[in-house]
Amino acid sequence: ATWRYAFEEALTDVQGVYASKFKEHIEANSDHTVQLFPYGTLGESADIMEQAQAGLLQFVDQSPGFTGSLIPEAQIFFIPYLLPETHDGLEYFFRNSKAINEAFKSIYAQHGLELLKMFPEGEVVITTQEAFDSPAGLDGVKIRVMTNPLLVESYKAFGATPTPLPWGEVYGGLQTNIIQGQENPLFWVESAKMYEVTDVMTFTGHNNFTTAVMANKRFFDRLPEQDQQLVQDAMQAAFDHIMVYQKGLSERSLEKILEQKPDMKIVRLTEEQRQPFRAAAEEVEAKFIEMTGDPGRQLLQQFKQDLNAAKAQ
Amino acid sequence: MTALMVGTMIVLLLLGFPMMVTLIVAAFIGFLAMFGGVDQMDFMIQQFMAGIRPASLVAVPMFILAADIMTRGHSADRLIEMVMKFIGHVRGGLAISTATACTLFGAVSGSTQATVVAVGSPLRPKMLKAGYKDSFVLALIINASDIAFLIPPSIGMIIYGVVSNTSISELFIAGVGPGFLILGMFALYSYVYARIHQVPTEARASWPERWRAVRRAIWPLGFPVIIVGGIYGGVFSPTEAAAVCVLYAVILEFIVFRALKPVDLYTIAKSTGLITAVVFILVAAGAAFSWIISFAQIPQAILASLGLAEAGPTGVLIAISVAFFIGCMFVDPIVVILVLVPIFAPVVESAGLDPVLVGVLITLQVAIGSATPPFGCDIFTAIAIFRRPYMEVIRGTPPFVLMLILAAVLLIMFPQIALFLRDLAFA
Amino acid sequence: MSEQRPSDRALQLPAPLVWLDRWLGRAEALILGGGVLLMALNTVANVVGRFLFQYSFFFTEEVNRILIVMITFAGVGYAARHGRHIRMSALFDTLPLTGRRWLMAFIALGTALVMFALTWFSLRYIGSVADSGRVLPALQIPVWWIFVWVPLGLAVTGIQYLMTVFKNLAGHDVYLSTQVKDGYDDR
Ligand code: NA
Ligand code: NA
Repeated sequence: ATWRYAFEEALTDVQGVYASKFKEHIEANSDHTVQLFPYGTLGESADIMEQAQAGLLQFVDQSPGFTGSLIPEAQIFFIPYLLPETHDGLEYFFRNSKAINEAFKSIYAQHGLELLKMFPEGEVVITTQEAFDSPAGLDGVKIRVMTNPLLVESYKAFGATPTPLPWGEVYGGLQTNIIQGQENPLFWVESAKMYEVTDVMTFTGHNNFTTAVMANKRFFDRLPEQDQQLVQDAMQAAFDHIMVYQKGLSERSLEKILEQKPDMKIVRLTEEQRQPFRAAAEEVEAKFIEMTGDPGRQLLQQFKQDLNAAKAQ
Repeated sequence: MTALMVGTMIVLLLLGFPMMVTLIVAAFIGFLAMFGGVDQMDFMIQQFMAGIRPASLVAVPMFILAADIMTRGHSADRLIEMVMKFIGHVRGGLAISTATACTLFGAVSGSTQATVVAVGSPLRPKMLKAGYKDSFVLALIINASDIAFLIPPSIGMIIYGVVSNTSISELFIAGVGPGFLILGMFALYSYVYARIHQVPTEARASWPERWRAVRRAIWPLGFPVIIVGGIYGGVFSPTEAAAVCVLYAVILEFIVFRALKPVDLYTIAKSTGLITAVVFILVAAGAAFSWIISFAQIPQAILASLGLAEAGPTGVLIAISVAFFIGCMFVDPIVVILVLVPIFAPVVESAGLDPVLVGVLITLQVAIGSATPPFGCDIFTAIAIFRRPYMEVIRGTPPFVLMLILAAVLLIMFPQIALFLRDLAFA
Repeated sequence: MSEQRPSDRALQLPAPLVWLDRWLGRAEALILGGGVLLMALNTVANVVGRFLFQYSFFFTEEVNRILIVMITFAGVGYAARHGRHIRMSALFDTLPLTGRRWLMAFIALGTALVMFALTWFSLRYIGSVADSGRVLPALQIPVWWIFVWVPLGLAVTGIQYLMTVFKNLAGHDVYLSTQVKDGYDDR
């Protein structure tokens, strides 16, 4: 059969690399073919999500941040300093977390989706015009965020002026100083050329961009067992591939950026400098619970248990 | 399926069906072919909504509204009068000014549709009065507005840059050369046209006359300041600049000049809404049509049959130009970039082509496609705003399309047209 | 805009429907004009907010999105009423009067059917969006609310074109819409 798989990035970005690996595995091990639909070719995030729910698409990669309007709990990934800050910690967490592999699975199932895998895409960095090392340094700085209340809350707590702006206006907005900063995973800063229009890149360690691959549940449940196994195997192969790919990705992206713009200033906040930003996370957690109620509270608890397990690793 | 879709579209178009129906019926056929029934047709509506979702579209009604207020009041007249005092005696001067104004306004505002309205509606009557034929005037406005795709900020280039992993700054700089080359061609053609058709010139104005005209235009000169200064100066986004222009136009015409009455504002807003709706429903229907083309992977199928792998660099450039030209004739340019760029990426790389050159060439094709029949957003906008028949709006197009194709050929033969500024800046 | 002449109205519908139609036309106009002005106000307010109070309204974009849908779909009906939808009439114009009348009746019928089909699809689509429970991220109101104009506008447009069919069949002129005769001289 022909399976259709849409994702939110270009073919050469992390989600595209993941999808290509999945396609490769499926086509090498069966008669099925997988058609890939990169960013924008079938619409935006919300559109491809609906298409997957309706079964026009068999597979969809959507970041929980975008799923927020459909599944409020998914916004948990926007809470700063919640995810492990090391590669090994992250890998352990994503492989073993109960919250991800069980709790989220049933949440997505309620929306007609079979959650197949969640994986990290890379550390989120903030690029700005001027350097900062404390919330005071962000005072009055307009940082572009996605239209999401939790993100807005985070950046308020960080001391900045969060400015929601559609993605299409970000490059121009930075160029013309309507905004003075933005946040994105490192690889995206490189591939979307954000470094061309900002001068400082700061590693705050506040988040790692997470994404999720899902199948239409009706489609998946009706697959013969061997095909279900095939899909799971291909997902595992893609996940293993992406974790290795990830390992060098940050360094590669950073190298490329510095090659293109040698005077780009790179700042890594020290543990001490991160403290006031960490403190801000509490406000955001409270906001998250306010928005999601008891299910959100339970999910957050489970998350923290899993994180402790990951940290113990 | 492709043949049936395009065939039906052309037949309905020729019969005289509303343009939105031709697009919708073609999309219907595509959905039927892909899904074998009407169960999934809801997604046509989803794509309608997706088509009119981009926040930047808000600039279109805002600039239409501001332009309409200015045209019905005094601002537009005074601005044009000032320009005429300086260039009225030059053969083809008005046409050249119109082309330049369209290019610059389009470059800054980022919306070619808004340009057709904002520059076209005050200047077209003057050009007609000066003796230019309407078909020439309409084609000039539409095509000169589309040069804006090549001059930063350009949304087409931003999207190409992200999809193909190319420096957007380099693309922006590389677009400037070809943009002004085309503007030069249009200016030359305007001059030749004015000579051949013996368009009369005005007597050369004296400096005191010019000075008086400048003084009369001092308030309306705030508009270019808001738009150019506001956007390049980093004060507003293009959408916001459009809204601020509305505010400024209201202040000028209702308070300073007292040229309009409050009830006029409602009438103008109503007609703005009407024009917006007529164009946006086509944007919406076009999105549904583009979606099914993309979903059925039609471009991939067509391109796979071409055997591009053996073509040399020039062959690949020509193939890209033709593919984007045809694609943009029917499908929304942004979707064309998103779908086709990744397909061509491997051949571009193996042919050793400069991705910046390819990006400029593609942007040029997008500009051509938006102004060429049968489907072009700027054509629709011109029809809606000027209320002229379809055929009349496109009648004057061929010379412009020929010049644009010539520009593409020159660009393929002499890539330095695009690259020399880039090399200068990034060497 | 050209207004109806009394003789035209005689050919048309029963009085209550004419009354309803006229009010519908006014409502469409009000939504169009009001929508555009609200959009200007909303966008300007955001600029002012940012300058004077260093504050961006995070709902500006969503409000504009709501207004665009509203303007577009209220406008589709209004444009149908005034015969303003874009079409290519080159071949059409070469036909004799009777031919044009019949062809226009056919076009209006086809367009009406397409509009009714779309109305049906849009109702189904709204239903599924409502079921999904999606909300607008900033305003936190259900997403389907912003789509209610779609079926309304499409249905009104379909009815407009259906009336145009009868207008062409009953009269002796070619009507682009219930109110506008063929020709571009109606400015
Ligand atoms: Na531009
Ligand atoms: Na076109």
